[in-house]
Amino acid sequence: MNERDDEGRRRGGVTPWLLLAPGMLWLALFFFVPLWTLFRMSLSERTDRFSDPTFNWEWSNYREAFSQFGDQFFRSFLYGATATLIALLIGYPLAYVIAFRGGRWRNLLLGLVVVPFFTNYLIRTLAWRTILGNESWFVRTAQDIGLLGDEGILRSAPAVIGGLTYNFLPFMVLPIYVAIEKIDPALVDAARDLYSNTWQAFRKIVFPMSLPGVFAGSLLVFIPAAGDFVNAYYLGDVDTTMIGNVVQDQFLVQGNYPVAAALSFVFMGIVMVLVTIYARVLGTEELT
Amino acid sequence: MIHRRRYRPVAQRINRRQFIGRAGVFAGAVALGPSILAACGGDDDDDSSGGGGGSDSIAISSWLGYMSDQSLADFEAAIGITPNYDETINDNNEYFTKIRPNLSQGEGIGREGMVLTDWMASRLINQVDPPWVQQFDEAAFPNKSNMLAVLASPEFDPQRLYSAPWATGITGIAYNISTTGGEVRTVDDFLNVSGTKTVLTEMRDTVGLFMQATGADPANPSVASAEPAFDALQKALDDGQIDGANGQDYVADLGAGNLAAAFAWSGDVAQITLDNPDVRFAVPESGGMLWSDNFLIPIGTDKVTQATQWINFFYDPANAAVLTAEIQYISPVQGVAEALTAMGGDAAALVDNPLVVPTDEFLASVSIFGTLDETAEEEFDQRFSEILGTG
Repeated sequence: MNERDDEGRRRGGVTPWLLLAPGMLWLALFFFVPLWTLFRMSLSERTDRFSDPTFNWEWSNYREAFSQFGDQFFRSFLYGATATLIALLIGYPLAYVIAFRGGRWRNLLLGLVVVPFFTNYLIRTLAWRTILGNESWFVRTAQDIGLLGDEGILRSAPAVIGGLTYNFLPFMVLPIYVAIEKIDPALVDAARDLYSNTWQAFRKIVFPMSLPGVFAGSLLVFIPAAGDFVNAYYLGDVDTTMIGNVVQDQFLVQGNYPVAAALSFVFMGIVMVLVTIYARVLGTEELT
Repeated sequence: MIHRRRYRPVAQRINRRQFIGRAGVFAGAVALGPSILAACGGDDDDDSSGGGGGSDSIAISSWLGYMSDQSLADFEAAIGITPNYDETINDNNEYFTKIRPNLSQGEGIGREGMVLTDWMASRLINQVDPPWVQQFDEAAFPNKSNMLAVLASPEFDPQRLYSAPWATGITGIAYNISTTGGEVRTVDDFLNVSGTKTVLTEMRDTVGLFMQATGADPANPSVASAEPAFDALQKALDDGQIDGANGQDYVADLGAGNLAAAFAWSGDVAQITLDNPDVRFAVPESGGMLWSDNFLIPIGTDKVTQATQWINFFYDPANAAVLTAEIQYISPVQGVAEALTAMGGDAAALVDNPLVVPTDEFLASVSIFGTLDETAEEEFDQRFSEILGTG
């Protein structure tokens, strides 16, 4: 009997590792190895455009990344944070209505949120370039009623932030919807039975319980938005370039892989710090 | 960054909406391409012996809209070699990033031919030793004598041993006269136009036009001689006289009327004007930029003769005329104007279009951007990137 128990424990000890193995292998091959390669590249020395950079503990790449591209880093996080906030302000009510008031239209409404994803990301961005062009009906109408000046809106920070918000909005809506949809409506009824008004029920019941969705949605929007370069390229101008544009330029125009890799690492580092702070502040148990 | 794209005007003339739509979609595809390519590092094929398969086929990489089905069929029927032609080149720098790992190891890129702009051709010929491209098989290139004299002896390849222009264009100013209310003749005129204006992200084109406007000679560029041009460009951006820099995606905005004026490539404007006659093209009085995209044979393929037969075929004026009628860029081949006239119809009408068959006066007012050594090129690129907000 004891021998059987020992064997069972031994198997039980190995089984989780066996189950973990495929995932760990995947992570090692497609995350840690590329990350290590990128890290080595960030410390490599570039001799010319024609040769592969050589690893040489070239910390000056990081100094260059920090010192020369402060404006682009700042804009990236500012635009990313602003787009995340706007997406939250738009996405939360949308998810709330779909979850609590959608009724038999719920699936259709959710489908409408996802439908834009059936179109290529670039096509959607380029569509906004057309919509925001000086000759578009949208801009002309806005100018006619005095909302916009003669300069229009394309090639401006609001256009870039608007594009980021639009493109990543579903990433905000869907996690919040999932979180809200799990809330038992009886809890809201109970709050009302206890003399809460609608706002109090929302503030004390619904919103706290939906925070895991808010947390997940915020990260899903902020991280790709801050690292994006397509919206800044097509909807912005030289004063709205983001760090993604710099990385693209360093990789493909300057051919400066080490600095591009260093920029990528600095960006990742800052994102990790911000996410850690955010997680500590929001402190949702399900996700932290 | 996006480079030149060519269209299919005469035989399959597309309407304005289709043209602009294609421009937008293509521009978008180009934007994502670089990031994917950067991750790839190498070429699709690591076949160091070339990519054309058997001895009766060759693989060619070029730009979108630089070829017609008719010309491909004509080549195969006349020469007996099957061309595996692709349009995977979107940008010189991007393509260089893609092929560099193989070429730096002395390996082929799975292609017998590729089409790259002058300065990139120069880089592959002159900045590495030995060159990363091969010499033509001169015996298989009798039509080389048909090359336009103005293109026959560039500084980067004086005897055209390695490179042959595939198509040529002019960088100048495109403007919408319904917006500007008058003609734009100089770079200053361009800067003073009210409305949205953009320059090109292609450094040599934008800096070259500004160099000429500030009295410098882009045919003999140096960091010092270009400094006033960089300063003028920086000032124009700071003062809001220029709204941004575009790759070829300016085509969509120019055609749609969203741009008042832009630095532009002649072939694009030739196509836009078919549907929007308000769009005009001007070579600035201070001078425009003349550039060519060149056919090159990369190292690592043993099909030099077959690849040379390919370029030789398109240096026959009759074959070149068929191609020119399709792509509407300036042909590098003498006698194309006569051949177009002989074709009659829409093709013959192109003879009167100076953007397709330029006059001597037109050609006299343009310069070819001179060769930059590696150090100077990096300084130019870095300065230009800083001005555009990415450096």
